[in-house]
Amino acid sequence: MPRLHLGDRVDSGVDWLVTHMSWLFDAIKTVVEGMYDGLDAVLTAPEPLLLAGILAVLAWWLRGLVAGVLAFAGFALIDSLALWDEAMSTLSLVLVATVIALVVSLPLGIWAARSKAVGATLRPVLDLLQTMPSMVLLIPAILFFGMGVPAGVVATLIFALAPGVRMTELGIRQVDAELVEAAEAFGTTPRDTLLRVQLPLALPTIMAGVNQVIMLGLSMVVIAGMVGTGGLGGAVNEAIGQLDIGLGFEAGLAIVVLAIYLDRMTGALGTRISPLGRRAAAKARGTVWTYRPRPAVAVVGVVVLALVAGGTNVFGPSSGTAEASASDIGKGKEVKIGYIPWDEGIASTYLWKELLEERGFDVTTTQYAAGPLYTGVATGQIDFQTDAWLPTTHDEYWKKYGDELDDLGSWYGPTSLELAVPSYVKDVGSLADLKSHAAEFDGKITGIEPSAGMMGLLKDKVLGEYGLDGAYTVVDGSTPAMLAELKRAYAAKKPIVVTLWSPHWAYSDYDLKKLDDPEGAWGNGDGVHTVARKGFAADNPEIGKWLKDFRMTEAQLTGLEARIQKAGKGKEQQAVRSWLKENPALVEKWVPVADSGQ
Amino acid sequence: MSSRLEAEHLHKVFGRRPQQAVERLREGADREELRADGTTAAVIDASFTVEPGEIFVVMGLSGSGKSTLLRMLNGLLEPTAGRVLFDGQDLTALADRDLREVRANKISMVFQHFALFPHRSVLDNAAYGLAVQGVPRREREERAAEALRLCGLAGWEKSWPDELSGGMQQRVGLARALATDADLLLMDESFSALDPLIRRDMQDQLLTLQQTLKKTIVFITHDLNEAMRLGDRIAVMRDGRIVQTGTAQDILLRPANDYVASFIQDVDRSRVLTASAVMDTVVRGDEADCGCETATPDTPFTALCALSARLTHPVAVLDGKRELVGVVPGQRLVGFLGDERGGATACDSPRDGGKKVTARA
Repeated sequence: MPRLHLGDRVDSGVDWLVTHMSWLFDAIKTVVEGMYDGLDAVLTAPEPLLLAGILAVLAWWLRGLVAGVLAFAGFALIDSLALWDEAMSTLSLVLVATVIALVVSLPLGIWAARSKAVGATLRPVLDLLQTMPSMVLLIPAILFFGMGVPAGVVATLIFALAPGVRMTELGIRQVDAELVEAAEAFGTTPRDTLLRVQLPLALPTIMAGVNQVIMLGLSMVVIAGMVGTGGLGGAVNEAIGQLDIGLGFEAGLAIVVLAIYLDRMTGALGTRISPLGRRAAAKARGTVWTYRPRPAVAVVGVVVLALVAGGTNVFGPSSGTAEASASDIGKGKEVKIGYIPWDEGIASTYLWKELLEERGFDVTTTQYAAGPLYTGVATGQIDFQTDAWLPTTHDEYWKKYGDELDDLGSWYGPTSLELAVPSYVKDVGSLADLKSHAAEFDGKITGIEPSAGMMGLLKDKVLGEYGLDGAYTVVDGSTPAMLAELKRAYAAKKPIVVTLWSPHWAYSDYDLKKLDDPEGAWGNGDGVHTVARKGFAADNPEIGKWLKDFRMTEAQLTGLEARIQKAGKGKEQQAVRSWLKENPALVEKWVPVADSGQ
Repeated sequence: MSSRLEAEHLHKVFGRRPQQAVERLREGADREELRADGTTAAVIDASFTVEPGEIFVVMGLSGSGKSTLLRMLNGLLEPTAGRVLFDGQDLTALADRDLREVRANKISMVFQHFALFPHRSVLDNAAYGLAVQGVPRREREERAAEALRLCGLAGWEKSWPDELSGGMQQRVGLARALATDADLLLMDESFSALDPLIRRDMQDQLLTLQQTLKKTIVFITHDLNEAMRLGDRIAVMRDGRIVQTGTAQDILLRPANDYVASFIQDVDRSRVLTASAVMDTVVRGDEADCGCETATPDTPFTALCALSARLTHPVAVLDGKRELVGVVPGQRLVGFLGDERGGATACDSPRDGGKKVTARA
């Protein structure tokens, strides 16, 4: 079969779009970002419990007292999990994506219902959008819109578009043909037939579509979290990236609360706004449990709570004014650090967050996968990252993005990449020993993310060098999955080969053997470099200088990593702070306040 | 008086290349030939006129094309060929907008399954046509309430369609059609979905209303009894063609062909026939002189039987001027009753008439 180079066409198409249509994407980005920021600002403005109250009144109005109480309990739970801001950001993202998806899908659905040709054309397109793996859509979304919310919203809404179109089309087609004929027989214009007969009667089905759109949007949130949308998706990604099952569960639970709330509310809204549903509801009314405030009462309740909310925001304690001091070099200037959830990445990133905040900068940290992280820094969306393994491991990324990056030098090294086995596996001490033990390991090497630099190196070079190509297959996966697999095998004392690197906490948790590399196939150790966007050091000469001078010893790094590990997820910065308190000299050493001429 | 509605050689063909199919039909191709090509001739060369104030019934079995024919009369379906003249205006030549205007103001329709809007109250349903016309809310609610009252639904305005029985729902459908003051009422198997008793009620109600309102009505049905009860004139359709048009008595006494004849076998003649249809017009002269009870040409068959049973001689039929126009011998009545299942027996040369029509069809 001739190889059809479809992928190349897509590649060049995407490139063309990026270069020629950027004005369009920028416009979309601005609109999406504006909507998101606005909504997020509104949702995060009031005290969490007040907003929970507002949402509960809505639930009460739409579904009854029990739903109201449960809604309040659910949102209070989110707040008590300290996930409120994340939840609101996710809610904003989903709502923005839903609104845009509906604005697009309702007219399309109506159009498809009225014209068979349009319906037939749309169907395969919708199939494509709905079933194309979401990551495949996500990467072009990053190229077009950059990291962050707009890419997440666009990927979410593309994914969620299909049910909106389909259910609208279905709903309208389902309307009894005799009713449409009756409308026409009385001389109704096509437009009025649509507005007065078809849409009202299709409304329950359309609302089911809206519901689907929201649910799919929520399910997409976690994936969108990979492109740095933050929110609960980001929290879930961070948690699974660090094998933090507890936090993952909490964030997942918060998503579930949002999902159930949105699901029940849109369902109830469907009956509320459809004339038929309203009648059914009116019939069922009776007891205290099913009593609902009349719309006017509900509106008054929401407004009062909102006013209170606004009031506390205006008159409440405003965020403390920054203390002016000699060490305030940043003066609130924003710095964005991105990191890969590897231990040295987390440690150094939070270290720099603390150090820079100490110097008056306003630092945000966001977790990414390696690919998006490099894309983000190269496109200037992220200021710097501290976890570039150069020249070997991240060579691929450097080749692709090196021109748009500034290497601020290595702060730790040398590192090493290796295959490791538990020490209870006898007779295997070197890569050369693996060949004869293939059966013992089931011919499998448990790997990490296929995108990781060391995986490429392993498959392309290391295996060949030791003649392992036929004997072993490398199982792609993820770092957490690899570590979980290691943990499982270790507990059962089963033989396992994993890809690992130093420094890594696994070496202190488990008794592992690094396999020798007599041929030097892994290459020389990398240095862990800080890589910044082009021009960052020039824009921020102090930070540039600090980062260039930054060095950490193995004792310092492992000490800090251990402290963070012990403090647990979500307390990284406190761990850094207490660690710095014990090593007071380091702050002055790493971020010296220059005497003059800054 | 010019006729209110006139259908001229209406054709409706569904499928590919309908115009070509019409040509072939005109050249004498039949429906089956076309069906083999994947086109369906629903209505073939239908022509008739409807006079103002008349109830014109189109009767045929399902698939005979009667509903398609009805929908061409108000432009819901565009005829493949032929014209529809309504008050002299050619509906087929109108632009969409003008056609909608005509439908909104002059033609209304009552549907088989009522087609009430489930999301509107009874009053809003009845007022629907007026809302389309743009009548202000107050006035249209008054007029809709009046139409509901006419149809016997006073007090149900606030109810919802699904709270009503089938018969009541169709009364709402009727009220909706009457409320617009349209001259022409199209009724598509309007009573077929109702229970027999309710159906009778509705037929009676329609006839009662018609006495005062004098609408022009085209009524579609597959029920010959209904057709006979309601229709001033009846068109019988078969396989897309109108095979006979005439009054109930014409059709009963002079069926145009075997198809119509077999159709009318089960009709309860006593409900349809009147004295004028069964009397002998060769008058002997003395029947009216005895001072016994007499009949008029419109006396129903059943009343005639009762009369005849009380008399020893034939019943005299007198017209409005009390002049003798015919007599009905008792033997004749027994003959008609006994003939219920006997197919058409004729008063005057049914075979010739039948042959003529058959040849045309």
